[in-house]
Amino acid sequence: MSYFLNQLAYFRREKDQFSDNHGVTTDQSRRWEDSYRQRWQHDKVVRSTHGVNCTGSCSWKIYVKNGLVTWETQQTDYPRTRPGLPNHEPRGCARGASFSWYIYSANRVKYPMVRRRLIELWRQARSEHDDPVEAWKAIQDDSEKATSYKARRGLGGFVRANWEEVNEIIAAANVHTAKQWGPDRIIGFSPIPAMSMVSYAAGTRYLSLIGGTCMSFYDWYCDLPPASPQTWGEQTDVPESADWFNSTFLMMWGSNVPQTRTPDAHFMTEARYRGTKTVTVTPDYSEASKFGDIWLNPKQGTDSALAMAFGHVILKEWHVEGKSEYFDDYVRRYTDLPKLVLLEERDDGQLVPGRYLRASDIDNNLGQKNNPEWKTLAFDADRDRLVVPRGSIGFRWGEIDKRWNLEDKDADGHDVRLGLSQVESSDEILPVSFPYFGGGGNDHWAQTEHDPIQRRNVPIRHMKLADGTTVKVATVFDLMVANYGIDRGLGGDNVASSYDDDVPYTPAWQERITGVPREKVITVARQFAENAHKTQGKSMIVIGAAMNHWYHMDMNYRGVIKMLMMCGCIGVSGGGWAHYVGQEKLRPQSGWTPLAFALDWHRPPRQMNSTSFFYNHTSQWRYEKLEVSEILSPLANPKDWDAAMIDYNVRAERMGWLPSAPQLAANPLTIGREAKAAGKDPKDYVVDQLKSGELGFACEDPDNPVNFPRNLFVWRSNLLGSSGKGHEYFLRYLLGTENGIQGKDLGDERDRHPREVKWREAARGKLDLLVTLDFRMSTTCMYSDIVLPTATWYEKDDMNTSDMHPFIHPLTAAVDPAWESRSDWDIYKGIARKFSELVTGHLGTETDVVTVPLLHDTAGELAQALDVADWKKGECEAVPGKTMPNIVTVERDYPSTYDKFTSLGGLMEELGNLGKGMQWDTREEVAALGDLNGRHRGEGVKGGRPIIESARQACETILMLAPETNGRVAMKSWQSLGKNTGRNHTHLVAGHASEKIRFNDLVAQPRKIYSSPIWSGIESEKVCYNAGWTNINEFIPWRTLTGRQQFYQDHAWMRAFGEQLCVYKPPVDLKTIAPIKGQRDNGNPEIVLNFITPHQKWGIHSTYTDNLLMLTLSRGGPIVWMSETDAAKADIRDNDWIEAYNVNGAITARAVVSQRVPEGMSMMYHAQEKIVNTPGSEVTGMRGGIHNSVTRTVLKPTHMIGGYAQQSYFFNYHGTVGANRDEFIIIRKMNKVDWMNGPAAGDAMQVETA
Amino acid sequence: MSGLTLRAIARLMDYPTEDLKAALGEIRDVLAEGSLLDKALADRLVGFVDTLDRQSVLEMQEEYVALFDRGRALSLHLFEHVHGESRDRGQAMVDLMELYKSAGLYLDAHELPDHLPLMLEYLSTRPQPEVEELLGDAMGVVVLIGARLRERGSDYCVLFEALEAIAGSPEEADELRKTAATEGPDETIEKMDEIWEEEQVTFLGNSDPAGGCGGATTPPANTGAIPVRVTDEQPAAGSSAARSQR
Repeated sequence: MSYFLNQLAYFRREKDQFSDNHGVTTDQSRRWEDSYRQRWQHDKVVRSTHGVNCTGSCSWKIYVKNGLVTWETQQTDYPRTRPGLPNHEPRGCARGASFSWYIYSANRVKYPMVRRRLIELWRQARSEHDDPVEAWKAIQDDSEKATSYKARRGLGGFVRANWEEVNEIIAAANVHTAKQWGPDRIIGFSPIPAMSMVSYAAGTRYLSLIGGTCMSFYDWYCDLPPASPQTWGEQTDVPESADWFNSTFLMMWGSNVPQTRTPDAHFMTEARYRGTKTVTVTPDYSEASKFGDIWLNPKQGTDSALAMAFGHVILKEWHVEGKSEYFDDYVRRYTDLPKLVLLEERDDGQLVPGRYLRASDIDNNLGQKNNPEWKTLAFDADRDRLVVPRGSIGFRWGEIDKRWNLEDKDADGHDVRLGLSQVESSDEILPVSFPYFGGGGNDHWAQTEHDPIQRRNVPIRHMKLADGTTVKVATVFDLMVANYGIDRGLGGDNVASSYDDDVPYTPAWQERITGVPREKVITVARQFAENAHKTQGKSMIVIGAAMNHWYHMDMNYRGVIKMLMMCGCIGVSGGGWAHYVGQEKLRPQSGWTPLAFALDWHRPPRQMNSTSFFYNHTSQWRYEKLEVSEILSPLANPKDWDAAMIDYNVRAERMGWLPSAPQLAANPLTIGREAKAAGKDPKDYVVDQLKSGELGFACEDPDNPVNFPRNLFVWRSNLLGSSGKGHEYFLRYLLGTENGIQGKDLGDERDRHPREVKWREAARGKLDLLVTLDFRMSTTCMYSDIVLPTATWYEKDDMNTSDMHPFIHPLTAAVDPAWESRSDWDIYKGIARKFSELVTGHLGTETDVVTVPLLHDTAGELAQALDVADWKKGECEAVPGKTMPNIVTVERDYPSTYDKFTSLGGLMEELGNLGKGMQWDTREEVAALGDLNGRHRGEGVKGGRPIIESARQACETILMLAPETNGRVAMKSWQSLGKNTGRNHTHLVAGHASEKIRFNDLVAQPRKIYSSPIWSGIESEKVCYNAGWTNINEFIPWRTLTGRQQFYQDHAWMRAFGEQLCVYKPPVDLKTIAPIKGQRDNGNPEIVLNFITPHQKWGIHSTYTDNLLMLTLSRGGPIVWMSETDAAKADIRDNDWIEAYNVNGAITARAVVSQRVPEGMSMMYHAQEKIVNTPGSEVTGMRGGIHNSVTRTVLKPTHMIGGYAQQSYFFNYHGTVGANRDEFIIIRKMNKVDWMNGPAAGDAMQVETA
Repeated sequence: MSGLTLRAIARLMDYPTEDLKAALGEIRDVLAEGSLLDKALADRLVGFVDTLDRQSVLEMQEEYVALFDRGRALSLHLFEHVHGESRDRGQAMVDLMELYKSAGLYLDAHELPDHLPLMLEYLSTRPQPEVEELLGDAMGVVVLIGARLRERGSDYCVLFEALEAIAGSPEEADELRKTAATEGPDETIEKMDEIWEEEQVTFLGNSDPAGGCGGATTPPANTGAIPVRVTDEQPAAGSSAARSQR
């Protein structure tokens, strides 16, 4: 056969080979691939995110098949960034990727649950009373019955219930409580509105409609840095993470970026690839440490010493030596360094930095008719005359001329260049006394022998005041140079000419305290400043909880902030203070507040700072061992400061500085009725009663049943498994159940009893009803009377925003809520409906008397300008809104609560909307919302009003009303601000004026918000979001006393505690070890370690800590880290079971022995649930606690200041904070690991076999 | 006919309610009238019904919640034991729903398809061979839960032992019972380290590379039928099935 015929023309016989015969194509069955293909076949893919407090707010694809969530993957379609800037994605982390596990896990709360004892009592009472409210009353009036179910809290015994029944119990309890005790005795705790803001709003809208109290979280979590409101009058405003990339010198100081900001960390590493120098400051070898070109490891708790030494170098080399025009110009124009301070002359002749000089001090008020007491002064350097620079808080309120701005002008419009130093123009050089605290604290920290009063020479000018006296004044700049101990040739003692001098605050001085070599300090300080000088401010400090959770966190933070302000970094893209703790940034905030606090129906709402509340009502004050004298300035008169910590808080409440909850020592509805009966205005009536003493504040007598918080709602939170500092005190006093407190209260120590608070036998079990909404059976659920099953983050419609990126992101209901769960919105709607039904006949239209603190961003922030006077002590008149809380009446039509809940109220048209001191008309938006959501038909309060029935309609309400998501509103809000600054700011958003973002837009793609005056940065195609940008570029004043960034704090209480300027303060001594050390010997050696509770790697707070996937990555249960050295001392090996305890309680955990941890310190990642693999404690005889079992919160008086410009209360903005890092624990190996299983254990936290 | 027996067991395994209480007599009759169960077992079931009958509904409910409503060890969701934290769980549930649908039954409750009482109700409508196949497939989990209940002294164990009698004991039944007997809650915790220990990954010198990485296994044969598997593997000793996939 021929070749031609022999060969096939159209076929070949052999399989094709390729790649030099390494590859071959085969035709085996590929059906096995079907299972993989199947995995990618879905009915739909839905966009959602996680409503957890991690600041991630990452975009996720949720895969749904047959109505079931099968899994999730990261979404990658964020709007692009501009050229030259990395894109945002991929965002997400291992924790988020494991979330879908929760939806169908055995830990899911599937049905409404009630403790059996309670439901028995309830059904019995219901059989005897037709009226559910009467039934609830019958149970509460019988103390034996009430105690019988309260004592079972945390001890299991749940049964399932149906929604109808639980709603009836809850509503009946609320009606009874409002009627008998007062609506402010109904409390709600929910954190982080920025994540799932509608779910948050659901509960607070209900509470606000009925007059209940909404509790803060940011201060309680100690995520609020008080230094921020002190310095800027701003809660917290920070750069988005993309702006890290623009930095050329990046410090990560106590912030474990790769571990706790996982989806954003890439911007940091990308900046390094581009050449940015990174410096990490952490006491332990954390995950962030390895990213540092330089790693500094100061002893924990001494960061302010390090910061002061950095400041010493920077101030000396760049300001005193005058090396940078940029720095010099910046601090003159944008900080208070040129402002003048009065020097107080003490009886012994010492001069102490006092308050700012005010226009009212000078003859004829220096020409100022409006608020002269609130206008600070400086010298015009060019003409050497005293001027009133614009921008101080006095210009903000009541002014006719528009001049609240930072233009280089004085009040009269003359150009000025303010003088920084008086060293050339002084009348004399005199020693001024500065406090030094480095010799105090306990002996776990280095104590230095320097004189507690450091006298240093300062250039001073004499000035004649209106009253004819002559006083001495100095600039903040000159005082600050002296405070840092810099020798500028003025002679005198306590100043350093060399960095090697052992004088506070040199690099050599800090070496003894922090352990960081001085050379490294000098190097970093120089490079930090030089970079800022060359780049005009692109040095940035990322900072976190590790710094902020100390008692003296404001010193840590102010030390750092001062470095940034000295170098002109604040308000500059690529520079500044980047504090990321707690997802505080609710971007569409002013669109959300009407919904959340029912401002569309009633104003004002009741809001409370949780730290003061819990300190008081969980009786933690009864155990207070920290004396005010221990933290007082050596320059203050101790006789003026001899009260207990709680006393200062009570004074702050009655002076209107801090809010109160419960408010007055009587039912506010009763007060309303009594005032009416007496024919008096309720405001006058209450003032008279308070003055006569017939009526008091609830905080003055917390153990009186009249003043108990009675009902508590907890949702989106694990208060008892995570954030409850003083956990065991919660259990004993608020809940009235088993607890592990080991110490004794101050019962016998009568001389230490507070003066302002009545001491009586401690009440236990104050709460009548604890209701928790959750999707997983958390520790808080285990202690609740009623547990309501909520929808997970893939089962509801909602929205998220974050401080880390500028996008607003939806949560979408990929599937219906599983089992009997419902969204938070639907749950509260159901309760509101039942409440409206049951309240009829008990309460009608009532006059509710509400006390309101002196609020920031209102004229109330101008209360007492020069000194502190307490009306109760007869030091001044009792004037509501000035020397005491404002007293406002709210008319509540209780039966219409549900109608109000589900419709947008008329106050939006009547009063408009407001935010941060601005106010704008919002009629157009209400009309547009009615067109979009529809309007209620029929009569009654809701007739014709826009509908808010569904969570999605609630989302639309927020989006319609917020400047950040509605361009038209943004224009109006900028115009409102322009009326006060006298400048036109609308150019910042004009391009978006006709745009609106709707919920469906977000579902299509996360959307970047619009620039709004609610925030101090802008959204632009040219610059990343960075805080303070509009202050610098638009000359908008900071909302502080001086209108500038404040290095100096002049309130009388700040001065008393020696915090006018930043100083180093060592951690405080909480005295929780000595009373118990050596008392509970189990034969094993004991060691005492500092107790640090950082954010963890395998969870976001307590969420995910019960997730098998995350437990598998860690050690499957609670762990405490310690150093090899300490472990050896206590004969502890890695993975041994250990117990950690002190007078507050006890924890059981595994030891992680690691070189990561320095000697003297232990670390327990916070919020590991006690429901997961936690054995019994040898100390308490009960199951080991959570990390907060060994803590007790302690207040700091300087955080209570109010009615004073930036130091004025606002919800989640300013106030006492729950610090907990100064705590110590005793650690020892356990002898016997008792799992406490079986019925004998009696508690509900039985260990789950993994 | 096992149908009514299975349905009675399903009802008894469900959350006890007033309705159940009222129907206990009827259930007792069904169980006593005989079915596939031998007399001794039927008597024990009737005994269980009597026990329930002596309790108040709230007592029954509290006990039920404490046993089944929290935690994995006694979860009545089969895939909690089989797939645990694995992402395969979603697909497995989807397959199960398809199976119900193919028999003309549509889920009409807020419950997952792998809830054991739900599956028993489905099986109560199916012929015996299918009962034996599907229930037999799940028997590893059923035996383990039953054995754990027995160890805890709960009368609920009889329901699971009855299922075992209906669908036949799996080969490893004794081993599972031994596991439940020896694990005890304390035992499991004390052995936590062993249980959680990472297995060494070997690549070289392994005759079965795929097996060594714990990865891909032999592709399932395509039979054309819906590949419902209640258990991919049998629960092993040491802990709950979820942790035993190595």
